[in-house]
Amino acid sequence: MIEGRKILGSIGLGILTIFVIVAVFAPYIAPHDPHQMYRPMEHPSSSHLLGTNDIGNDILSEIVYGTRVSLFIAFVVSVISMLVGTSLGLVAGYFDKVGFLIMRVVDVVLTIPRLPLIIVIASFIRPSIWNLIALFLIFGWTMPARIIRSEVLTLRRRYYIDATKMIGGSDFYILWRHILPNVIPLVVVQFIMEAIHVILAESGLCFLGLGDPVAMSWGMVFHYAFECPIIYVSDVWMWWMLPPGLCIVFTVLGLTFVGYALEETFNPKLKNPFGGMER
Amino acid sequence: MKKTVLILAVLLCSMAFSASVLAENDGVAAMDSDKTVKMAGGTPGGADWGYPAPFTFYPRGPGYSRMSLLFDTLTWKDADGVIPALADGWTVSDDGKTWTFYLDRNARWHDNELFTADDVKFTIEYMQDHEGEFTWFEAINYINDVQVIDDYTVVIDLNAPMASFLVDIAGNVPILPEHIWCDVSDPRTFKDDDAVIGTGPLKLVDYDSAMSSYQYEANYDYYDGKLLVDEFISMEVGDAPAALKTGDVDEVSFWGSEIIAVQDFKDNHPEFTIVTGPSFWVLQVIFNCDADDTKGYPTNILEFRQAIAHGIDRDEIVSQVLNDGGIPANTGIMHPDSIWYNPDCAVYEYNPDTANDILDSLGFTEKNSEGIRQYPAGAERSGNVEFYLYTTGKFSREAGLIQTDLAAIGIGIYVSPSTWGPIDDRLKAGNFDMVISGHGGISNPQIMRIPSWPASTYQNSEYDSIFTAQEVEMDLDTRKELVDQLQEVVADDLPVYTLYHPYMWCVYNPEVLDTWFYTRDGIGIGIPLELNKLIFLARYGDANENGEISMQDVTKMERMILELDDESDMADANQDDEINMQDVTHIELIILGRAPIRIG
Amino acid sequence: MHQISKLAYYFVIVLIILSINFSLPRAMPGDALSYLTDPGADIPVRMTEEKREILLAYYGLDKPLSEQYITYMVGIIRGDLGWSIYYSAPVLEVILGRLKWTLILVGTSTAIYITLGILLGATSAWARGRKRDMGLLISIISISSFPSFFLGILLAIIFGIKLDIFPISGAQTAFATYSSPLEEIFDILHHLVLPAATLVLSHIGGTYFLMRNSMLGVLGEDYIMTARAKGLSERYILHKHALTNALLPIVTMTAMTVGFMIMGTIFVETVFAYPGIGNLLYNAVSYNDYPLLQGIFLFLTIAIVGANFIADMIYIRLDPRVNHE
Repeated sequence: MIEGRKILGSIGLGILTIFVIVAVFAPYIAPHDPHQMYRPMEHPSSSHLLGTNDIGNDILSEIVYGTRVSLFIAFVVSVISMLVGTSLGLVAGYFDKVGFLIMRVVDVVLTIPRLPLIIVIASFIRPSIWNLIALFLIFGWTMPARIIRSEVLTLRRRYYIDATKMIGGSDFYILWRHILPNVIPLVVVQFIMEAIHVILAESGLCFLGLGDPVAMSWGMVFHYAFECPIIYVSDVWMWWMLPPGLCIVFTVLGLTFVGYALEETFNPKLKNPFGGMER
Repeated sequence: MKKTVLILAVLLCSMAFSASVLAENDGVAAMDSDKTVKMAGGTPGGADWGYPAPFTFYPRGPGYSRMSLLFDTLTWKDADGVIPALADGWTVSDDGKTWTFYLDRNARWHDNELFTADDVKFTIEYMQDHEGEFTWFEAINYINDVQVIDDYTVVIDLNAPMASFLVDIAGNVPILPEHIWCDVSDPRTFKDDDAVIGTGPLKLVDYDSAMSSYQYEANYDYYDGKLLVDEFISMEVGDAPAALKTGDVDEVSFWGSEIIAVQDFKDNHPEFTIVTGPSFWVLQVIFNCDADDTKGYPTNILEFRQAIAHGIDRDEIVSQVLNDGGIPANTGIMHPDSIWYNPDCAVYEYNPDTANDILDSLGFTEKNSEGIRQYPAGAERSGNVEFYLYTTGKFSREAGLIQTDLAAIGIGIYVSPSTWGPIDDRLKAGNFDMVISGHGGISNPQIMRIPSWPASTYQNSEYDSIFTAQEVEMDLDTRKELVDQLQEVVADDLPVYTLYHPYMWCVYNPEVLDTWFYTRDGIGIGIPLELNKLIFLARYGDANENGEISMQDVTKMERMILELDDESDMADANQDDEINMQDVTHIELIILGRAPIRIG
Repeated sequence: MHQISKLAYYFVIVLIILSINFSLPRAMPGDALSYLTDPGADIPVRMTEEKREILLAYYGLDKPLSEQYITYMVGIIRGDLGWSIYYSAPVLEVILGRLKWTLILVGTSTAIYITLGILLGATSAWARGRKRDMGLLISIISISSFPSFFLGILLAIIFGIKLDIFPISGAQTAFATYSSPLEEIFDILHHLVLPAATLVLSHIGGTYFLMRNSMLGVLGEDYIMTARAKGLSERYILHKHALTNALLPIVTMTAMTVGFMIMGTIFVETVFAYPGIGNLLYNAVSYNDYPLLQGIFLFLTIAIVGANFIADMIYIRLDPRVNHE
């Protein structure tokens, strides 16, 4: 099993590395300016490897630049969610009264029908990248906060915490030096899950037409492909719909493999790594 | 003498014709192989248009057209213009205020009750009592009084002359059966089976909101033609082209950039027939023209708007975004396929140099490092000439092109897409610089009324007075001149800059039903859809049953009567050089001893 | 005591959500009638101020917010969810019309994905580390990486268009005449295959992993070791101990997922033109239909909170280790 874990982990890392490289060096990799317009609906050719879309943009270049948007949103949301979620989780686990309050808020947010609320808000706000990020953050911090807190609750009972307290270590010192390092693995795993969730959720919103039409993420490329009236009855889907779809799939796959490998390493009694869009 | 013979013969002939129609109908009803026509009613989430009763359909064109299959109006429209429906003919007084309608004596409600003038009077009074609840139109208050002269003659008195009366009221208000609606106090909740009893050519069998589907059956007793189908179904499809190809439906329609799919049918599937129609729809940039500089600057400067017009490449938008599924718009708004079109409106040729010159001359000369112009010193705003362009999500591609175009003339644009609600709020509050929005129904001059037309910030008293004048002008030519003037004012003053008119296409399987067409100036008050109830009818006078009234039909009848070899002048009764329903009805009216039709 | 405090807790949550639900649409730009005047529609509805006021009064939207709130809450208690402005029908009727199909879709696919997930998860755990386990693991991780709409479209293209063996839109052939009820059921099932398959494939991962992990946990416990040492057959051990113990978390998870799934079907509904709650909500949002929006939220909240509550109760019943405070 250790073998499998390592192999999957490396494959996952490999996939993610490729996408990160594409995102960072997009201007050098993309064959064309994604906003440049050529003849619309061109089939794949040597000048347009994946053809052109309904308004004549080079699809490959759109996807290459889309990597930036998709990964950026996922990354920013996950980082901020983890920062907020971890801090609140630490505080909630360590200080009982504050903890109770925080957890009640978490409970409510987790019970609110998340997807419908996102759809409602998303259709009224201006669908810019930053608004989408803010929208995901409303919910993103809750799961990590809850999980980190329960971990802190167990850690608190360890004898060395009491020992540190006895020799006069401040609460902040204990949280920072003894508890935080112990929850870091959990945070990393949660980070990956949140990233998976955001990638799927963002593409889902785009699919429903609620994405940012100015910043072309993979989801938006996919959305416009689905809107094309001949997507089913011709071969257009093969070069317009399949590639952005597969990019989403491979990113999620890469993240899942890495997350799985990490979780097996940190915590053999793992929980399921799948939180779909509908959660 | 010759005339009397002719009339008698026509009478005999039409009786024989009616009899044969009835006989055939009986035959059809008994036949096992019923003819069903299925239409794609829309895409997922958008094929349900409400219960097709007059007060419950969703206030959109497809909702009205599904209701209009069940309910008739006094007049209707075909591919050539206004035709008689429940009214066989009509006259109007010289002051344009009194309209007399001669009603069809054969019309019956679906429950077999007779239709009479009382129903017309009841309907108009009922609509007035429930003002606002029939969301489809507001003009019912133009009516002063309705008098029933006899069972089949009704006189409608207006408060003021109304040039569009025949279309906006007579051709729009569904006539309700008094014996059913007299007890209905809240029509918006009335959804019994009785609520869909009309006089129309089809009867409702079933409606399923969740499945977004409608099932109609033929009304074989219809008074105004022979039914070509036994059953009609409107249903939701996941993918329209696929559904047509597999035969799940017999007709689908496309719009604007969907020309890609139409092209695919044209190239690869010649077995389907394609009809192109006007959408009577325009996409436009709306400027904030508020004279108050704190709100309207800089778009309240006419030259600034002109510079933007010169800076937008409309041809590129049409070719790239619409894939040539439309045409650059009339700057005066009215659709080129409408009789109101003014071809002489000012045109703003795409030319960034002209635009730059204008902006320079306005003092917007300084530019920042990115080439964005600066407001002149001392102006209402300072810094970069940059603002938001608000639009609904579906026009973000057009907005993107305009953003690029305007960047080239030094104007920075941030595209801000959203749903209609927020934009509506901004327009009402005058809190915007530029908005991209569509506008439908541009085959009807009433659309040029400023408040209903989302240029809320534009004030022009001269324009308002021309508008009011055309509303009451009963002479077609004079009215057309006034509407022409309105269009020129819009094109010159640019409260909105029109971008394009998309086309529509109806693609169908001609083996199932071959009568699909686009209505002249749209169904009812201007709905640009192909679902006109006339497609289900071979009307009286359609002697060769090709679903169209043509010279051959009338001439055929005349030849039979007079044993003539040549076409006769009689074929064109109203002498408009075209053979249409009016001519046939004209003949019928003469036979029945009624006054001839006068087309308003 | 524990159960009563739980109930109170859920009551408070429902109250909070209902209030959010009431205020959210009203806080958003545009009003309930603005969709009527969208000039971008095929034909714009001309609306004067007077007409607008008549309609607002008709729907009770001209009253002060506090009064509207009370009407809304009282309505909910009385089971009257109001009148949908766009659909021009009672909200309850509109929702129930679609709920039927959502429940058929969610019910069938849940039953299938749970059964399959359990079987595959158990198989996988039993063969931990061997080829079969790895094969299953990787295929299920891969399938679960597909967004459900992408999976649905691929299935539609392959089985609906290319092979042409399943319909790709609707829940039933429109107004077909059936010779027998059996034929109608077959027609409904025929339409159900692709949407349900999409849901099954995109949800199976959760159950599979949970089953696999709990099985692995249980298999490592002492009593299983003992059973093995006693020489009991593997099949017997699997049934008697492992499966029974591993089922508990699955029951909980399923109960919690179903509520969310009702909404999650929106993607499948969009792809397959399947009638359901998801698209209804989307339309309610597009048309600013406050009463309908509120009604749908109420339903979803009840579904989610109810499922949570049931999960809690089941957990208390089934698991002797949870102490009854």
